[in-house]
Amino acid sequence: MAENSGTDPAVETNTEENAAASATIIKVTVKTPKDKEEIAIAEDSSVSQFKEEISKRFKANQDQLVLIFAGKILKDGDTLGQHGIKDGLTVHLVIKTAQKTSGGGSSQTSASSGPGPSQGNTDGSANSSPAGNLGTPQGSGPSPTPTQPPNMLAGFGDLSGLANLGMGSANFMELQQQMQRQLMSNPEMLSQIMENPLVQSMMSNPDLMRQMIVANPQMQQLMERNPEISHMLNNPELMRQTMELARNPAMMQEMMRNQDRALSNLESIPGGYNALRRMYTDIQEPMFSAAREQFGNNPFSALGGNADNSGAQPSRTENREPLPNPWGPPDTAATTTSGTATTTSSTTSSTTPSVSNPLGISSSSLGNGMFNSPGMQSLMQQISENPQLMQNMLSAPYMRTMMQSLAQNPDIASQAPTPTPAPTPTPAAGTNTAQQQLMQQMLQMFAGGNASTPTPEVRFQQQLEQLSAMGFINREANLQALIATGGDINAAIERLLGSQPS
Amino acid sequence: MDPHDSTFGVQLFIYDLSRGMARQLSPIMLGKQLDGIWHTSIVVYGEEFFYGGAGISSCPPGGTMLGPPDTVVELGNTEVTEEILMDYLSSLGETTYRGDKYRLFEHNCNTFTNEVAQFLTGNKIPSYITDLPSEVLSTPFGQVLRPILDSIHIAPPGGNVISSQNNHG
Repeated sequence: MAENSGTDPAVETNTEENAAASATIIKVTVKTPKDKEEIAIAEDSSVSQFKEEISKRFKANQDQLVLIFAGKILKDGDTLGQHGIKDGLTVHLVIKTAQKTSGGGSSQTSASSGPGPSQGNTDGSANSSPAGNLGTPQGSGPSPTPTQPPNMLAGFGDLSGLANLGMGSANFMELQQQMQRQLMSNPEMLSQIMENPLVQSMMSNPDLMRQMIVANPQMQQLMERNPEISHMLNNPELMRQTMELARNPAMMQEMMRNQDRALSNLESIPGGYNALRRMYTDIQEPMFSAAREQFGNNPFSALGGNADNSGAQPSRTENREPLPNPWGPPDTAATTTSGTATTTSSTTSSTTPSVSNPLGISSSSLGNGMFNSPGMQSLMQQISENPQLMQNMLSAPYMRTMMQSLAQNPDIASQAPTPTPAPTPTPAAGTNTAQQQLMQQMLQMFAGGNASTPTPEVRFQQQLEQLSAMGFINREANLQALIATGGDINAAIERLLGSQPS
Repeated sequence: MDPHDSTFGVQLFIYDLSRGMARQLSPIMLGKQLDGIWHTSIVVYGEEFFYGGAGISSCPPGGTMLGPPDTVVELGNTEVTEEILMDYLSSLGETTYRGDKYRLFEHNCNTFTNEVAQFLTGNKIPSYITDLPSEVLSTPFGQVLRPILDSIHIAPPGGNVISSQNNHG
């Protein structure tokens, strides 16, 4: 093996560092997934000699060793120099576990993941999707296309398929993910599913729907992050309305169109609203994907409509006022500059497109309490006109504490001194404490802290009194209902009525 | 060269988890410009591999809930076969890249991608991706948010977790 350089043949196979003729001994790091070792070897050794060293050090059979460097597999006949392996470089090592020298042993396991990991689905491992219909879409290797809808539906409608579907599989979430993915890639399928009578009967049962939704771990995550969502879910009236929406594709379409219209209006607004809009889109997106398969629509839109007209059909309401604005300066949008235009936005949901509109939340549902105070409104306007202001605001050192105190008591904001006197009429329709709770929670999240909150009893003091005046004497139950619905009296009443035998 | 060796193309899929929000808001919130919150995955043999709160997962390319990637970078070619890679990933998935070892700042999807990229091709992934955590942490805002962010596990749904049981490629 001694070649042009004056290497000592004896050196190559020793692990002892030979200080003498060490010019050509290099230290190569050999890295496995589990650990790494430094191996001293002569620069011009062959790969098989290198492997010999390695097999000693790693206590593995030479045949099991696969050496990789710079994306190349080192073959026994090569030399280290051939591959450019020098001192201090790292070579990757994989020790084959030798079970499957058959099947795919040659390096020609075709690049299209043939029998490889994609088939792991049907292997019965805990992660596999259920056998049968749904197994195929995932397991068909590299083609991730939206697959056979008929298959999917067949599995859905067929009861035995159903058992296979949800209950049999160890991984329901994965199932849902697949469903979601397919749904998103093929919108028609959604309407097909909706028409399926089994689905319809399921949807008409609000409790069942709620359970299903809550059971979805993604929803749970969302719910943890946004308590408003769980309140929303607990509001039976809302559920019913959204389910009606979902059932009626025409209504759904209308909603969608409204949303789209709102969004396209947004495009035409120049300036700083973009930032806020983006923010809301980001909130909306996860909601959309999480909720789409069950609701078929943005759940918040129903929420907005619901709070707007207690009892009235939200769909029609949404139609008339498609573009409500929770953030104040209601009908001016960013285009006008006058600061005087902040009219009362509290009672009516204005039709002005605005930043956070995509959620379709009407001002009356969120605007009261905090954002409709004249101070806030003019602040908002100023921000929209001058994005720099927002940046300054956020970088102010006391911002965080302010947020926290705001979170504790949204009323502070209404008392906050206005930066510029804006001749705005004060919002009528006294602050709805329920909405205040909502804002409070949002602010808490925003402030990032877990500021001490007043106990529910204190928060819902007013509602509790109202409830007891109405004749609901069970204070405990009232409190529970209020907590669950976030202070919404109507919803709480429904809850209470639902639980009472009557 | 041995005519037996076919090489496989290796790509890096880069996703922006903030969907453009970071580009817009980072100057305001962090004081420096971040073009995105990057999540990456390796695509090879027609499969996408990534690391998240669930461990190492694989799926058809673009098959997670994130949808198609924002950017695709060619990392080069590799001779490593799928079988070898699966062995490698299985070992990784049992040790350093278990699901519970996920750390948003220090040991995240990009750490994994970087390692696999080097394994497969010898090349690292672009540095702006791996530098992201330190960029964020060097801002006061990042420091403030750190406890919250540390507990976040990013696990884009849509993948199958790779474990030694279902590996028989």
